[in-house]
Amino acid sequence: MKSLLLKTGLLIALLVAGAFSARALDGAVVIANFSVAINSLSADELKDIYTAKTKYWDNGQVIIIVVLPDKTDAALQQASGMEASQFKTFWLRLAFSGRGSQPKKADTAAALVALVASTKGAIALVPADAELPGVKKIEIE
Amino acid sequence: MKKNIIRRLTQSLLLASPVALMVCRLDAAEFNFFGTNMPPLDFHGFLSQGFLDSSSYNYLTPNTKNGSTEFFEAGMNVSVNPFPRTRITAQGFLYDVGNVGNYQPFLDYASIEYTFNDYLGLRAGRVRRPGGIYNDIQDIDLARTFVLLPQGVYDARFRDFSCSLDGAEVFGDIPLSKAGALAYEAYVGYVHIGAGSGVVNEINNTSGGKATSFNPVFGAGEQLWWNTPVDGLRFGAAFGYVFNFDYDLTVPTGAPPPFPATVSLIAKTVVLTQQYSVEYLWKKWTFQAEYYDVQSSGNTTAPAGTTHSFSNQYSWYGSAAYRFNKWLEVGGYYNESYVSGAQAAASDASQKDAVLSFRFDPKPWWVFKVEGHYIRGTELLEDNAANPVRNDNGWFMLAVKTTFSF
Repeated sequence: MKSLLLKTGLLIALLVAGAFSARALDGAVVIANFSVAINSLSADELKDIYTAKTKYWDNGQVIIIVVLPDKTDAALQQASGMEASQFKTFWLRLAFSGRGSQPKKADTAAALVALVASTKGAIALVPADAELPGVKKIEIE
Repeated sequence: MKKNIIRRLTQSLLLASPVALMVCRLDAAEFNFFGTNMPPLDFHGFLSQGFLDSSSYNYLTPNTKNGSTEFFEAGMNVSVNPFPRTRITAQGFLYDVGNVGNYQPFLDYASIEYTFNDYLGLRAGRVRRPGGIYNDIQDIDLARTFVLLPQGVYDARFRDFSCSLDGAEVFGDIPLSKAGALAYEAYVGYVHIGAGSGVVNEINNTSGGKATSFNPVFGAGEQLWWNTPVDGLRFGAAFGYVFNFDYDLTVPTGAPPPFPATVSLIAKTVVLTQQYSVEYLWKKWTFQAEYYDVQSSGNTTAPAGTTHSFSNQYSWYGSAAYRFNKWLEVGGYYNESYVSGAQAAASDASQKDAVLSFRFDPKPWWVFKVEGHYIRGTELLEDNAANPVRNDNGWFMLAVKTTFSF
């Protein structure tokens, strides 16, 4: 009985922890191409990626951000600390000064998932209820 | 004159139309020329056409008083990541601002970059020079609210001198734990001055002569940004040093025969710049303020001897912009610019500019801006030939610009 209670308690704790990390970004989850080795990121690491402080994965592969305009703006603000238009301006400045490349864009969640699945090094925010064939979910710690 | 403006504007828009039709179906371009195993090339580009109309002076162009379309920029860049942690990028550019640029295409930047880690990277080739919030993107209309940046800090006529140099820079980001992070860039290299450049025009305008035979100008500097723990708040400091700015100058003597009509001088100049910046992105607001100081010290050698000169120009601005929705942003700034040694009351010693700007983004690839300026003073007019009389201390200017991009 005691063992059952302990196991149930642990299961509930794991579910809560998993649910919390899966909902760490407002209505969105982080996905990546299977070429990306990591399975989790801290919030600071995610922000470093979305603000161009970290441009390459540990294996030297370039990080390619893919965005879904309008549909994940709240999560984008949580990830980057910038409103959607400020985020766009930030990356325009990098791209046209030779210091970075603009994120790629997709029009729908399905198109975004397909683009991430086919682009090595890609990472993206996608609505939490999207189908995720061919990509891996990245947990945010 | 008005018919000429309408004709030139129409020509520019007709040139822009096929670009616009193309980019509405093209959101950046990625091409894989070498097969599926090679990294793709990433292309982006833009085309901007502006219009300036002033109530009193020919500011920035020789015909602003009658309305001028001599305000154009276009660029295309390509980048590729061929190896781990390596990036190669290049941008071609052409522009026209009054007497400068004249639609001559040139290589804006071309560099190879290796990023060792988040703390250290190296970039070499022709690189864009960092300096404050906007120096390295001062001619990219897409990347700001305003048609004209505060001209006391970012003079559009001097971009060929201030924007890029041939050399190298190191860059990186140093975490400061709970104090945020420190981003740095330090560069060194050469700027090649051409006879038609904005800086040469300024020298000719100020001296009344003609400058020739420029040595490659050596420049070095740095830009530091403290990204604070407060989201969106950062403080910056930039310092620049330019020397070997040597040239021959032929100036008229004004003397009657048999005395020589001109005299040849050799000028050697050193320029120091410092710039302090603050930027705060808070919700849909963007707040920015900068202070910029330029000190030029030079020796001019004539047959009769050598004279020393010193000038100091300083400028500051504060701006705010608010994005209402996807397609409308409204902003404004106030900019003051001074040159040292002159009385503050004299209109030629200062220029103060109050600006209200409306930015429209009808499509993700199309930007349209309308902006009004109320200007007091004439310190930044520069072009003496186009502005021989300067007796209007309060004047207006309209600036309109449209940009297509992909």
